Amino acid sequence: MNAILAAFELVFTWDVMLTLVSAALFGLLVGAVPGLTATMATALLVPLTFFMDPIPAVGAMVTCAAMAIFAGDIPGALLRIPGTPASAAYVDEAYAMTKRGEAETVLGACVLFSAIGGLFGTAVLIFAAPALAEVALKFSSQEYFWMALLGLTCAAFIGASSPVRGLVSLLIGLLISTVGLNNPAGVPRFTFGSTEMLAGIDFIPAMIGLFAVSEVFRTIAAGAPPWDTVQTRVGNIFRNWGGMVRTYWRQQLRGNVLGTAIGAIPGAGADVAAYVSYAVSRRFSKTPEKFGTGHVEGIIESTSANNSSLSSAWVPALVFGIPGDTITAIVIGVLYVKGINPGPTLFLFNPQTIYAVFLIFILANLLMIPLGWLVIKFAKHLLRTPRQVLMPIILVFCIVGAFASNNAAYGIILMLAFGVLGFFMEENQIPIAPCILGIVIGPILERNFVTTMIKADGSFIAFFDRPIAAGLGLFVLAIWLSMLVSAIRNRRRGDLDEALS
Amino acid sequence: MFGVLLLLFGVAVGLYAQTFPDIPGQRYGAAAFPTAIAIGFAGCGLAMLVRGLRTASGPLFTRTEWTRKPGALTSVLVTILCVVAYILLARRVGFIPMAVVILIVLFRMLRVPWWQSLLLAVLAAFACDYVFRSILLVPLPFGLMPRLPW
Repeated sequence: MNAILAAFELVFTWDVMLTLVSAALFGLLVGAVPGLTATMATALLVPLTFFMDPIPAVGAMVTCAAMAIFAGDIPGALLRIPGTPASAAYVDEAYAMTKRGEAETVLGACVLFSAIGGLFGTAVLIFAAPALAEVALKFSSQEYFWMALLGLTCAAFIGASSPVRGLVSLLIGLLISTVGLNNPAGVPRFTFGSTEMLAGIDFIPAMIGLFAVSEVFRTIAAGAPPWDTVQTRVGNIFRNWGGMVRTYWRQQLRGNVLGTAIGAIPGAGADVAAYVSYAVSRRFSKTPEKFGTGHVEGIIESTSANNSSLSSAWVPALVFGIPGDTITAIVIGVLYVKGINPGPTLFLFNPQTIYAVFLIFILANLLMIPLGWLVIKFAKHLLRTPRQVLMPIILVFCIVGAFASNNAAYGIILMLAFGVLGFFMEENQIPIAPCILGIVIGPILERNFVTTMIKADGSFIAFFDRPIAAGLGLFVLAIWLSMLVSAIRNRRRGDLDEALS
Repeated sequence: MFGVLLLLFGVAVGLYAQTFPDIPGQRYGAAAFPTAIAIGFAGCGLAMLVRGLRTASGPLFTRTEWTRKPGALTSVLVTILCVVAYILLARRVGFIPMAVVILIVLFRMLRVPWWQSLLLAVLAAFACDYVFRSILLVPLPFGLMPRLPW
C-alpha cells in the first residue's frame, strides 16, 4: 500500500504532468505524419530522456508511443496513407468511410477504441506482471535462454513477409550485439582496433539511425512529394460513440484480448496485432461482404487490438527484461541507462517504480481522448506541413540526438552507418524490427547460453533438466518444427501449382 | 546475388571468429556465438541462392523504382555527405553555422523557395541549439560562433 502511495507521489507532480502532456503532443504529431512511426517517435525522444528522472523519462515514452499508435489512424483515414505500420491493416477501410463522408465516425471510433484498448492492455499488465514476476524469480539461466530464443523466433518469423529475410535481419542484429568487450569471455570482438568500439555499439545512435535517418533518406530519395490533399471537414467525433459501443462490444472485446495476447509474446507488436485481428474480425463477422467497402466493424476490432498490444508488450519487458516489440526494446535500453534493471527483482525492490509506470499507462490512455480530439481538429493543417521542410529538420535533430548520447562525434558516425544500413535493408525488403530485437536480446541469449554451459560442463541436457526450462524448450522446438512443416508443405503446393500451370 | 554476398560474409565472420581465444577449460567461449551467427548467415545466403537459381531468369541486380529516377541517388549521397561534413567540421565551425548550412543545402535540394529555406534554417538551428544546449546542457560545439547570451 505504501508503495502505491509512493507511486502517486512520484507521478502527480507538475514536472511529470508537464512532461506527459508534451510527450503526448509530440507523439500525436509524429504519429499523424505519414512515414514517421511510433518507434521513430520513441527513438527521437530518447536523447531528451537522458536529462530526466527515471519516472518522467519512462512516462514520456509510454505516452508518446500510445499517442503515436492512435494518431497513425488519422492520415490513414484522411489520406489513405497509414501514419504508422500499426494502422496499415485497416487503412483502405477507413479511407472508404471518409470518402462516404463518415470521417467523424471512423476517427471517433479510433480515439475511443484506442483508449479502451490501451486501458484493457494496462489492466492485464497490472494483474499479470506481478504474478509472472513470482514465477520469473525461480528462473535460472536455462529458462532465460529459452525465453530469449522464443523472443528471437517470434521476432524473425511472425512479422516478416519472408522468413529468410526476417532471419537475415535478426542475424545482422545479433552480430551487432557481439561487438565489443562486453561478453562472457571478456574478449574484444569485431572492434578492429577501435577504442570506441570496445564498449560495444551504442544502442541509441543505432536506433536513431535505423528508424529515423533511414526514413529521411527514403523520403529524400523520393524527392519528398507532397501528399494529395483531400476534403476534410471532420464533424463531431463523439456522435456515434454510444451506438458503436452497444453494437460492437463483442468485436471490441475480442480485439482487446487478441491484441493483449499478441503484444505479450516477446517479439510481436502492434502491427501484427492489427493485421491478425482485422483478419479475425472478417472471418467471424456476420457481414463479411461489407469489409473493404467502409465498414466500421473491422476498424473497431483492429484499432482496439493495436493499442492493447502496446501495453501488454510491457509484460515480458518488465518481468523478463525481454522486449515485446521494438518500442519496448528502446525503452529497455533507456531503463538500463537510468539504473532500473528490468526483471523480476524490480517488483521486489522497486515496487513504487512499477506502480508509477502502471499509473502513467492509465493516465496516458485517458489523456488520449481530449488530446486526440484536439489533433483531429487540427489534422487538416498538420497534414499540410510539407515534407521537404520536415525531413531536413528531422535529420539535424537526429544528429544532435546521436551526439547527446555520449557527447562525442562517434555517436553521429554510428547513427550515419546505421542509417545507411537501415536504408539498404528496407530497399532489399529486409524488415528492420528483427534487427533491433536481435541487438537487445543477443547479449541475453549469449550470456545465458555460456552460463548454462559452464554450469553443466558443456552438456546440452542441462537445457531440459529443469521442469520450466524443459517446457519452454519443447515449446520453442515445437514452433520451429511447425514452421519447417508448413514451409515444406508450401513448397510442395508451389511445385504442384507449377506442374499444373 | 544477395545470397552470394551473404554466404561470403558468413564465411568471413566465421573464420574471423575462430581467432577469438577460448575461456580456459571451457568448451564454449567467445567464438561460439559469432560462429553460430556466421553459420546462420551462410545458411540464409545458400537458401536465397538456391531459390534464386530455381527461379533463374531475373537479372542479377534489380533496381527499385526510385533508383531509376534522375537525381534520386544523388540526393541520398548529398544527404550522407552533409552528415559526414558535420562529423568532420562541426568541432571547428560550430553547431549553429553547420546546421544552418546543412539545412539550406537540403531545403534547396528539395526545392523549398530561397527565402523560406534561409528563414527556416536559421530558426530551426537556433531552436535546436536553445533546446539542447541551454535547456538540456548538451555540449554542442561552439566553433566560430560567439557564445550566445542565453
